[in-house]
Amino acid sequence: MRRSLLAAGLAAFFLSSAASAQTLNVATAGDQNMVDYIKDYLGPLFEKSHPGVKVVAVGTGPGDGGSQKIFEKLDAQKQAASASDFDVVVIHQKAAGTMVQGDLLKKYRDVLPTGKLVTRDTATNSLGTDVSGYVMPMFHSQTAIAYNPDLIKNPPNNYAELREWVKKNPKQFGYNGIKGGMSGVAFVTGWISAFGGDPAKLEKGPYDAATKATWDKAMADLKEFNQNVVITPGNAGTLDMLNRGEIAMGPVWVDMFYTWKADGKLPPNMRLKLVSPGMPGQPMYYAIPAKTAQEKLAAEFIALATSPDVQAEGIVKRFNWYPGIDAKNLEGKLDQAAWNQLFADIPPDTLAANGKPFPIGPYFNDILETYEKKVAN
Amino acid sequence: MAKPSLLGLLLVAPALAMIGALFLYPLGFSLAAAFTEPGGGLSLMHFQKAYELYSTDILFTLFIVVVSTLLTALFSIAIAGILTLGETPWLVAALRALYRWPLFIPFIVAAQCMRTFLAKNGLMNNSFVALGLMEPLQATSLLDWRGIIITFVWKQVPFVTLMLAGAMASIDRATIEAGRNLGASRIRVLLELVLPQVGQTLLVGLVLSFVTMLSVLSVPMMVAGSQPTMLTVDMAFRINSYGDYATANALGVISYAIAGTVAWIYLRHSVKREVQA
Amino acid sequence: MSGKVQASSALALAGSGARPDTEGRIWAFGSTILKVAGLAAFAFLLFGPLANLVLWSVAERWYTPFKLPVSYGLRYWEVVFRPTGDAMTSLMTSVGIACLTVLVALAVSIPAGYALARLKLPWRTALMILFLLPQAFPSVAIYINVARVFYSIGLTGTITGVVLVHAAHGLVYSVWIAAAAFAAVDRDLELAARNIGASPLRTFFTVTLPLAAPGIMASAIFVFLESLDEFTGTFFVGVPQVTTLPLLLYNASMGGNYQIASITALILLVPSVVFMLVIERFLKADVLSKVGQ
Repeated sequence: MRRSLLAAGLAAFFLSSAASAQTLNVATAGDQNMVDYIKDYLGPLFEKSHPGVKVVAVGTGPGDGGSQKIFEKLDAQKQAASASDFDVVVIHQKAAGTMVQGDLLKKYRDVLPTGKLVTRDTATNSLGTDVSGYVMPMFHSQTAIAYNPDLIKNPPNNYAELREWVKKNPKQFGYNGIKGGMSGVAFVTGWISAFGGDPAKLEKGPYDAATKATWDKAMADLKEFNQNVVITPGNAGTLDMLNRGEIAMGPVWVDMFYTWKADGKLPPNMRLKLVSPGMPGQPMYYAIPAKTAQEKLAAEFIALATSPDVQAEGIVKRFNWYPGIDAKNLEGKLDQAAWNQLFADIPPDTLAANGKPFPIGPYFNDILETYEKKVAN
Repeated sequence: MAKPSLLGLLLVAPALAMIGALFLYPLGFSLAAAFTEPGGGLSLMHFQKAYELYSTDILFTLFIVVVSTLLTALFSIAIAGILTLGETPWLVAALRALYRWPLFIPFIVAAQCMRTFLAKNGLMNNSFVALGLMEPLQATSLLDWRGIIITFVWKQVPFVTLMLAGAMASIDRATIEAGRNLGASRIRVLLELVLPQVGQTLLVGLVLSFVTMLSVLSVPMMVAGSQPTMLTVDMAFRINSYGDYATANALGVISYAIAGTVAWIYLRHSVKREVQA
Repeated sequence: MSGKVQASSALALAGSGARPDTEGRIWAFGSTILKVAGLAAFAFLLFGPLANLVLWSVAERWYTPFKLPVSYGLRYWEVVFRPTGDAMTSLMTSVGIACLTVLVALAVSIPAGYALARLKLPWRTALMILFLLPQAFPSVAIYINVARVFYSIGLTGTITGVVLVHAAHGLVYSVWIAAAAFAAVDRDLELAARNIGASPLRTFFTVTLPLAAPGIMASAIFVFLESLDEFTGTFFVGVPQVTTLPLLLYNASMGGNYQIASITALILLVPSVVFMLVIERFLKADVLSKVGQ
């Protein structure tokens, strides 16, 4: 009797992995709150309009590493010639380019009803790779300098002032190098744009391998600058040190900053500043794997996720993140308070002027590798 | 005895098959990537690149892992020694109940705990200041190589101690009593009587710890800033930032070589012992 | 054991009988103080980091300049255990997978450990090193290729696939420790059993295995913990059909989501400690012994 019960239990355990009638698997890179956003908000919303469908969300880890894992899994599926087990993926910019080049994604945006709601350059161009049609922005994020106004009354306005400030206040500024996440990388690419030459060329191309030689001075300065800063462990590490007051200032992702604030992990008076000539930002993309069996359902899911209502309610109101679709489509969906909150620290015109894209792929890699050779070594 | 035992091969076969299918076969792809150049020919270019960019990190990794292993040995011997030879029942009981807890904490959580514990304004320094042991201005952050070592030792000491204390408990008490009756101090009994009998266990534990520490990504990533850093972080960085599996795999091979060397030294040593015995 | 210890310390005291009684008492008192202080320092270093874990699990707001959480609450426990959160389901999956992993790992490593310890094998050193290596390589690169193989034979997204991957990783502990445990068993006892007419198989199951059992059980604990903490392999082979709790832990912890990560870690403590206690009950008392020697 007991044995048969056990056997039944085991059988159920082994079978529990079998998929139910219609499951939409969503894999998302990024922090746990992105998973929760789909699990708690978007998923149930979609299930309501599509009875019988179950949305399953799984997180793959924060930062580019998370996107890379999605890429690796899709690539393994492709090489094994098996159907994809993700139906919708949420990925970073860099991975999107790689996946498009590897034929791992479907071209779906042109037929999406919300496809025309976004006109921003990053919806078609991902670090120099043409991704138009393959991706739809979920939200847009931006790096900026977070600072504690109790300790810093007049935050620096640009990179040059920041450099002076660090000289006068050693070990009060912290960033995470380039190996610990993109907020440090963003700070470094911003540095190169500010001191190393022609930002427009870095962002638009064309690529010229000789350009990196012109960064020597900027890199040497950065090495000197690093003597007076704290190298923090990761994107979260910078916020963590701000949390304990060990540093007074550091580059962070705006979305993470607001999440940490909402979770009570940053002093409520902490502010952001987008210094000139600018720091990079990037969107998170919704994309559909090329070999999904649920293409239609996946497209409908993304249409819902990028509809003005959901963008206003889910992205802006819940997280205080910049919407993925053009902001003008959200007019009338949001009350003034939520709108003001979104631009409390960084006004729209500053965002437009100083919110830059990352450099195109080859320059991006050159910057990182030159940093490894000249600054970190 | 001279002939290889067929039975032996049969018994090892399932485990070998498992390692072969789930590890060696997939590993082959990685090795191939590490040793071939983009065109397809054999080449050491990835190793050259790995060396150029990460020579400091290779040394840093060795330093961290060796120091951590030595400290782990020291603390494990001390704790296991007290557990075996301690003469204060309440102390032994308390220690036995306490020492194991870090064993149950995954590395990633240990890293998170240490990040908030060892920081300049972390719980440790705050406690010292509150107890009056330290002035607030003296507080320094341990979140660098020291933090990595502390985390590793914190996590691995219970592992080695668990094995070591078990082995010590099972050796013949009579020799210990004899040594004590002859007037030897407990430290001498530990070092001269007990330790030689459990040396093999200690070494197995240390080899496993060494290799484990070599492979942990989360601790160097979350505890310390990235300059310099450990090889695992560099591998993850090569893959995540450049999609460069070749150099990452070359770094993996280097990390392998380190682990393999340590295991080989241990095995040579243990074979010699067997021959002597 | 403690009886003997007391007897010998009584002897030691008797030996120093020339010392006046009060001085002896002061001496004992001082030594006790020292022990208490030592133990307190040890406990602080051990539990300090864990105290952080507990504090963060109930901290709703905690930031500079406050040394302790500004406000406490169970908000994040509710988040973890919310109906759509699946924490309990993935915990059950994790524990099930860990138990199966232990079974699989022991089933292949007991014979292998015995052979490596007792029988004449060619390339023994190379084999031992081979079993150590899965621990030493960056696992991501391996798992990508494993996933590729598993896709083509339909093992991805199954419990079986995840268990196999975890077990291969766990073999590092189970083979090495089993080999050491078998090597430690006294050959004379086996010979004695053979001399009174026991078959080799019977000798193994009645003499050798029970004597090596403590070491093997210790390895079971490590395999269990290793499986319970694993996330990279689970992601490549199991996700999205099989999701375990460490995946949530990994996401939360890497993202600096301290509250969720702390709570998840505390939840994962429960099966770990229970498993340890069960094993110890099995083994009686304080001998997780005979590992190696």
